[in-house]
Parts: sequence; structure tokens; C-alpha cells
Amino acid sequence: MTTSAEIKEFITAKFLPDTDPAELTDDYDLVENGVIDSLGLLRVISWVAETYGLPLDDIAIAPENFRSIEAIRNFVDESRRTLPVA
Amino acid sequence: MPSRKLLELFLEQAGNRPDSCALVFGDEHISYHRLLDLALELRSAMAELRVSTGRPVCVPAVKTPETVGLLLACLMDRRQVLLPSPELGQDVLRLLCQQSSCAHVLAAERSAEGPAVLGIRSVPASAEAAAGFVLPAPDEAMLFLTTSGSTGTPKIVPIGTEAADRFLSWSAEQFELGADTAVLSYAPLNFDLSLLDVWAPLRVGGRVVLVDQSRATDSTYLAELLETHPVHLVQAVPMFYRLLADGGRGDERPYKSVAHVVFTGDAMPHGLLVRLPEVFPSARLHNIFGCTETNDSFRHEVVVEELAPDERIPIGRPLPGVDAIVVGPDGKPLDGECTGELLVSTPFQTTGYLQARRNEGVFAAHPDGGTGRTYYRTGDIVTRRADGVHLLEGRDDFYVKVRGVRTNVQEIEQVILGHPEVRDAAVVALPDELAGARLYAVVQREPGSSLNGLTLRTHCARLLPRPSIPATVVVADDSLPRTPTGKPDRNLIKQRRMEMETTVS
Repeated sequence: MTTSAEIKEFITAKFLPDTDPAELTDDYDLVENGVIDSLGLLRVISWVAETYGLPLDDIAIAPENFRSIEAIRNFVDESRRTLPVA
Repeated sequence: MPSRKLLELFLEQAGNRPDSCALVFGDEHISYHRLLDLALELRSAMAELRVSTGRPVCVPAVKTPETVGLLLACLMDRRQVLLPSPELGQDVLRLLCQQSSCAHVLAAERSAEGPAVLGIRSVPASAEAAAGFVLPAPDEAMLFLTTSGSTGTPKIVPIGTEAADRFLSWSAEQFELGADTAVLSYAPLNFDLSLLDVWAPLRVGGRVVLVDQSRATDSTYLAELLETHPVHLVQAVPMFYRLLADGGRGDERPYKSVAHVVFTGDAMPHGLLVRLPEVFPSARLHNIFGCTETNDSFRHEVVVEELAPDERIPIGRPLPGVDAIVVGPDGKPLDGECTGELLVSTPFQTTGYLQARRNEGVFAAHPDGGTGRTYYRTGDIVTRRADGVHLLEGRDDFYVKVRGVRTNVQEIEQVILGHPEVRDAAVVALPDELAGARLYAVVQREPGSSLNGLTLRTHCARLLPRPSIPATVVVADDSLPRTPTGKPDRNLIKQRRMEMETTVS
């Protein structure tokens, strides 16, 4: 499964249980549309850290990094490149 | 502008005391004679422009002497008037016009010289928009006000002619209004408060000091206005008193002319209330409770010296002729000291919303059976003390707190129902450990539509604050479960969802 598909599956399972993952486009704004709020953001971050082996302490909790599937994927790719793997 | 009786009494004043001041607006004093002329000029203008007499007209409530004149002109012609806020969006204004069968939107403006000018705009009729809206006869109701819904389309509330007369009589007596007494008109002209502020004085030969709406939050302007034009009665929301008290002029040069201070529309903070006697040393202080549907229903006179620290300000006792019932969760009236939903029947109330189906379950007979009176279900939770004084506790369960934000689920429903591909929708609050409540929306889409929860969220995000976007949006082709009265069965929807979630987790 691609990173995008994994993220999409997680987001729909946790936050949009009644939505078909196929309907969720990569650029859908998860913050603006009320899918992820501040508490939801923490859940996404901890999932990202665990799934991709990123050190939680080094992750900036900035909503713009988690605004869409695409943003989360970019963040994961970038972090894997630059951060030491936990 | 609510009744024939008002017109007769106004004409009597204009005949007997033509040179007395009727309206103060900016630097101008408009006499009864001039106001009558203004009304007659605008009446001719309506005839010249062939404004149809068989249908209501819409007059956006810009607070000027010209608008007051136009409303009097409509009264003379027996034209029903929809009086909405002048700040409504064009789409909402058009829809309200179509719902109430208004053919024209009218606006009266001054000209540099000579008579006032009448602006007129046609509104295309829409049988679709008007379906289910029932117009009362002109004899029954001349004025249509609207509720101030924060989202969605405002509800149209016809003000009964006799009900308005009873209200104007009560208010003139309660607040000792007579010839030459001056009243400050602070509220927008489309609020029911203007019945007391504007029409009650004009009926008895008094004077109305109109607050310029564009300067209504300018404390210096308000202080100067009250200094230049001493008034007998002030009715306003607590914010107005805050502006005056903090403006720094009140206690130095108190407004001694004011005999009655009325606050309404919002809870009066204790800290502000105790400062009012300095600002208005001669005034009696009244907390008044009511709504557009019933007009005023409760009054409580506050004696500041007798207030305990942090004492909540009661809404008081029902006005003369008002019957108030407190009902429990089962809808049965409670006796003695109790807390429950407030049902009121007032001599001033509307016969019901223009949209007939809105009245179901909102206007009803006495829960114990017919006494002939109609009661309005306020949705307000009150406590009745043993001494018969009432305290306002809050709203009923259409209001929920989501992460501490007070949210009205009905307003969210209205927003969702506004999406063109939505056929039916219900929003309920589910208990949530973290957020207190979590909103669940269940939606039936139009046949053939491919609407999904994500696109509907985007629609909500455009029109609602973020905490009001439902946490879960389920879109389906199935119809919603309904109660025997035809409303979405919110309890069943809630119960099914909670059962489903328990099974899943």
C-alpha cells in the first residue's frame, strides 16, 4: 500500500467512519472542514510517529502539516529524509 | 405600525398637536404635522408607482423618519408590511419577500428639497418559495416581523393587530407614557422592541429620539444624545448600558430625566447593574423578558440596594394577562417550586409563524387540555421559586455544548437543509467523554444525487463556525425515521446511532 493510501485509510477509519476512503481526495482540507480538530491532530501525530518510526519529540505540532492527506504524506516523506529514525 | 387603532390615535395627535415634536433624528425635529405630511407624500408616491394594494410590501427597517413615514403610509393604505433587518443578504431578503408574497421592496429617502423619494424594486414571485406560507387577512395582522436567526432563513412572525394594540396600551400604562414624554429608540426598527420605543409614544403624542444605527456603539455619541435630548424611558440590551457606564460621563453628569430603565434581550451582568443608579439616579430599573413570538411576558423590577452580592437577576413574574406554565420533561405542568421548560400565553402574542408547519408543537393548547388559550413553547428552561418569581436557566436541548461552545443543532440542520441536493436532515448531539457532546448528522440526499459526507462538510464549513460542523455526517438515500407529527424522530436517530457505535467498538 502506498503512504497516501495508508494515511487515507487511517483518517477515514478514525475520523470519517462512514466515508469510503476512495471519496477522500488527497487535497481535501481536513482542518477547515472540521474533520480533524486540535485533539484529532494529536491522534494523527502519534499515529504518524508510531507507524513511520519518527521520534515524537521532534515533530512540530503545526496544523498545516496535517491539513490534508497530501500534506501529511509530504510531512512523512520529509521527516523520514531528515529526522533520525527512532 | 401594527394597527388601525394606532393610525387613528396618531392622526388624532397630528390633528390636536400638529407642532409637537414626534421624532428627533440627528439635528432635526420632525413634528406630528410634518410626519403626517411625509406619510401622505409617500402614500401618493406608492399610488403613482402603482404598488399593488392586494399584496404585502417589504420595507427594510432603516431607522429614519422617512421609514416611519412610509410605515404610516402603508397603514393608511391597509397594506401589510414585511419589516426585515436592513442588513440581510440579497438572497435571504428575496426569499423572505417570496415567502410572504411581497411584490415590491420599498425604501423612502429624503430629497434635498421637497417631498421624500420612494425607491421601489420588484421581486419575482415564486410559488415554490411561498408554498406552505399562509398570509393572515390585513384586518388580523398588518406587520410581519422576523426572528433574528443567526444562521438559516429568519422565521416570519405576523403581529396581530389587536395583540399589538393590547401591547401598546400596556406599555403606555406601565411606563407612564403620555404627550411630551420622550423615549429613546435604541433597538433596530425591525425588532419587536420598537413597538414600545417608537409606536407606543407616537400613539400618545410623545416624542421618539431615534438613535442612528450606524453610531449605536459610539459611547460619546450616545452620551451626547441623552444629554441633548432628555428622555423618560430607555429600553436597551445590556451592552448599551455598558457603553454609557464606561463612557465616563454618566456618573459625572447623570441622566436625571430617565424615569424608567428597561434592559432586555440578554442577561444583565451584576457588576454593571449595580452601577446603573449612579448613571440614572431617578430611574426605576426593569428586567423584561420576552421574544418576537409573544412579545414581553415577564417583568422584574430591580432594587439595587436590596440585591445580594452575586444574586442572579430574575426575569420576575408574568405580566398582567400573561399565563406562564412550567412543564417537566414529560410535558406535564409542574406545581410550586420547580425547574422546567417555560410555556407562555400572552395577550400580545402572534397567531403563529407565516410558515404553517413551523407552528406544530410550538404553538399548542394548555397541556392539561383546552382553556381556549394558545401557549408558546419558548424552549427556555426556567426555575419558578416558591414566591412565584422566575429565573432563566438557559435553553432546552436544541442547544448543546460542543467543547464549551453553545451550539444550536436546529440551526445546523437548517444549513444542511439549505444544500440543493439535500432532501431531509437531522442533527443530534451524542454524549462524548472529551467534548461533552459530539454532533451527528444524518442526511437523506435527493434521488440520483452523488452527494457525500465530505462535500456536505465543505458546505457546512462555508456557513458555520468550525465547532458546529458535525463530527459525523452520514449521507444516504433512505428516508429519516419520523414521529407521528411528521418531524424527524431525533430520539430514535440518536438511540440507533449509539447502539451501532456500541456494537462496533
